[in-house]
Amino acid sequence: MQIELISFGKISELISNQTLETEGIETTDNLKEYLERTFPDLAGMKYKLALNKNLIQQNTEIKNGDSIAIMPPFSGG
Amino acid sequence: MNRERYQRQIILNGFGIEGQERLFTAKVLVIGAGGLGCPALQYLVAAGVGLIGLADDDLVEISNLQRQILYGSEDVGLLKVEVAAKHLRQLNPDVKFVLHPVSINAENALRIIKDYDVVFDGTDNFVSRYLINDACTLLKKPLVFAAVSDFEGQLAVFNVEDENGTKTNYRDLFPVPPKPGEIPNCVENGILGVVPGIIGTMAAGEIIKIIAKIGKPLTNKLLHYNLLNQQQYEITITPSNEYKQVLGEADFMNRHKKNITETYLEIHIEQMIEMQNNPATLIVDVRERHEFPKLDSNVYKQVPMAEFENFAASSIAQQNIILICQHGIRSVAAAEILHQKLGEAKNIYSLKGGISKWRQFFLTIRHER
Repeated sequence: MQIELISFGKISELISNQTLETEGIETTDNLKEYLERTFPDLAGMKYKLALNKNLIQQNTEIKNGDSIAIMPPFSGG
Repeated sequence: MNRERYQRQIILNGFGIEGQERLFTAKVLVIGAGGLGCPALQYLVAAGVGLIGLADDDLVEISNLQRQILYGSEDVGLLKVEVAAKHLRQLNPDVKFVLHPVSINAENALRIIKDYDVVFDGTDNFVSRYLINDACTLLKKPLVFAAVSDFEGQLAVFNVEDENGTKTNYRDLFPVPPKPGEIPNCVENGILGVVPGIIGTMAAGEIIKIIAKIGKPLTNKLLHYNLLNQQQYEITITPSNEYKQVLGEADFMNRHKKNITETYLEIHIEQMIEMQNNPATLIVDVRERHEFPKLDSNVYKQVPMAEFENFAASSIAQQNIILICQHGIRSVAAAEILHQKLGEAKNIYSLKGGISKWRQFFLTIRHER
């Protein structure tokens, strides 16, 4: 299964936009665990996931070809 | 109202004289007259919004001028809201202005915001953003949210119902504020002036759409903009159950009123000067090493925020620790970290307004030594 990762702000310095082979990653919670394990700096950051452009508020199943955005909050003005 | 001034927008399909009249009877509060606020103000005023409230307690600094386009070199040191209002009155004498030269806080937020129809948040820190969000949610005021970082921007419209009656706010995106210092603001982070220029202008567009009831505002959407690749990415926001709605004024005050006396004290420059020559006082500059003005490191110990945890855990001889930074925001974060580590063992202070507010003092002192 493949998914597309899109990241924003400071997170894009950590995780570049990429297609990810996701064996064993079936849900957004699995994906979070995988990302925080692979990119330990992410664990200390505030971020939210969006699956196919919809904000993830609870654990959701991921399907082949889904796109997942990783967004940090911005505060600058 | 001089119709000729607005002719080009009155003839727009769907806008018309109704749209113009809606603008002219609207009251918009712009919080933060900085990189986002300046362009938003120019377009709102030019378009003929009837009354504009300007809230900001900052003074113009030279480092603001690359992006805060209402100010010129001669304005450095002056109050932003006054300089902005002077230029904006020239731009359009039809518009009335109310100046709020204050920092929006728990005590004044509800009182100030309640008189307006739409609020624009163009501030530069999370404390203000959560405060404004909660106040607008409590008062059911449409809130246009804009924020920037590096080459990117975010834009959203909160507290406005979509066709299904759903409305969301910033806490549906990020329920809990980041810890102080967790996310850099413009002072620590770079920003290219056109980015807040673009996002602030888009925000003015959203405000005009909400007031004139045209098009589809970014209700329940978060728009991401990236200047470097000219891409936009729009995300649908759904309500979160990870936070509790603000229930009323008392709840709002509890959440946002700082109980500062028990942990650390925010002091003014006079109080710092009194303590400065006392050998029991240590002054710590928590800015990054690249920031200006550079201070004498023999007088002001430099410990950037990334190194602050280690510093707080080290043994500090002095009894009084005064924390300073550019604007007095990071120094508050540092004071909280220090208090967590040291408790009541030391007297902890944060210089209110920071080095930028007392720039003259810091520069003079540096020259004397």
